[in-house]
Amino acid sequence: MASHASKAFLSLGRIHVSGVGLQKSLSRATYATGVSTHTGGGNKGRPDRGGQRQGFLKKNRRTSGEPRTDKMKVDQDWTSVYPTATPFRPSTVPLPVRMGYPTKGGVPPGKKGNLELIKIPNFLHLTPVAIRKHCEALKSFCTAWPSALGTDAQCDEHFPVKVESTDYMSAAPSLRNPSARVVHLRVKLSSLNLDDHARKKMLNLVRDRYCKDTDILTITAERCPLRKQNHEYAMYLLTVLYHESWKTEAWEAEKTVADMEEYSWEESPSQKNILSMLVRMKVAGEGEDEEVREQLLGRKEVQEYKNSVTRLRNEGESESTILQYKEAVKKVLNL
Amino acid sequence: MAAPMALRRELFSLGRVLSRVSHLGPRALGACSPHLKCYKIRSLLPLAPSTSFHTTTVLPSTPSPITVTEEPDALFQRVSVLVKGHDRAVLDSYEIFATMAANELGITKNKVYEPPKDMERLTLLKSIHIFKNHRVQYEMRTHYRCIELSHTTGCTAQVYLEYIQRNLPEGVAMEVTKTAMEKVPDHIKEPMWEEQPIDDKPSQ
Repeated sequence: MASHASKAFLSLGRIHVSGVGLQKSLSRATYATGVSTHTGGGNKGRPDRGGQRQGFLKKNRRTSGEPRTDKMKVDQDWTSVYPTATPFRPSTVPLPVRMGYPTKGGVPPGKKGNLELIKIPNFLHLTPVAIRKHCEALKSFCTAWPSALGTDAQCDEHFPVKVESTDYMSAAPSLRNPSARVVHLRVKLSSLNLDDHARKKMLNLVRDRYCKDTDILTITAERCPLRKQNHEYAMYLLTVLYHESWKTEAWEAEKTVADMEEYSWEESPSQKNILSMLVRMKVAGEGEDEEVREQLLGRKEVQEYKNSVTRLRNEGESESTILQYKEAVKKVLNL
Repeated sequence: MAAPMALRRELFSLGRVLSRVSHLGPRALGACSPHLKCYKIRSLLPLAPSTSFHTTTVLPSTPSPITVTEEPDALFQRVSVLVKGHDRAVLDSYEIFATMAANELGITKNKVYEPPKDMERLTLLKSIHIFKNHRVQYEMRTHYRCIELSHTTGCTAQVYLEYIQRNLPEGVAMEVTKTAMEKVPDHIKEPMWEEQPIDDKPSQ
């Protein structure tokens, strides 16, 4: 569809150019009849061998008529003067433009015969009036954004998978850019149907591709030559990761304390230490080991101590965690 | 919330008269019956452009055909257009054009900003042989401009980007980063192991 449109446009461009050529030759013909070339006759008598080319140029030179700018009305339709991107023509642009480095004690050179004005790309075909006209014509091809997806949160809720790709456009011998095949797939793990074990296994499988702060898993696919293939490969990877993380293998039962993602206080050296210390301090009084244990664990100070140690281990050291630990230790040991 | 329908377009609307003429040619040729002489229609092609060149573009009464297809429209959460060039003034003008076009087409702009320029500097020997102490330095400045659009549909983004890209000036490069939104595919909704008990050997 797009290629068809571009081919149509290319063919338009060719027709347009041929039309321009035709028009220009016609216009030149009309100018030539209006102006008499008197200087041609004078040069014929003196054959100058050294400057034969210059003589030829002088003979055939017609003095140009008055520029088109003099005949332009103030309220003319500028979009028809410059309908497409065209180089700057001083006789067509009715502006007193000056461009270039100023001469000594002078001003920048004027627009007639000024190469600087021709070199720089001009936006004379894209005046606000022209843009409005173009957009009026293009509006019928646009579709409205659904109103139910006003905010980013709503978009994330209904469409959690984000696929990012880049197109490149530059002037070069080739249109292609090999970086255009790269596809990034981003998804929030909270939007996938994962239970606790599946989530932990998924994090172990993806490792660096997961960002803890934003809970976004990023899968980058660039191994296939086409973008479509990379997109499909990324979706395939996501599918495989999801299903594999729900599977429980036999060797997962051998998970040790070192493999655990989060610190848990139960069955940890910290729990054993604090219980043995409290028993030695004879806080709870005499009784069976199990009963004493249960009694101690049920105590508020021990629970606070447990919370503070867990927080310290999981979140790392910071002002608040260390302060909390200090308070808990003081309470537990009655300091 | 139904997915919006896609709009397919067959023509680009700039230079509408010319496009209509050129489109009329093959269509008419195809449609005309064998006994009719087709050269009459073909002769329209070279004449029409010269008469319409440098005259007011007459919008035809019948607009270009818009076909509506069943496939759901893509949704882009963010479309980021980065233009690079050597001349800052050209990028200024292009930014005015692009922002105005976005406003006219009703596209919401997230932000329009200018990333800092890059300067690539080279220090080379001035002479072809010896004279190591005499060098010449060149630098290449690349200016950037970024226009971020948010919440555009696939059709709107395509129209806007095509319009922007066709009017990209000489010597300016562009990178368009599109972030499309998709639903979670059906095969990831539920794990497949619940239907089939694990009978395949665990991969080791």
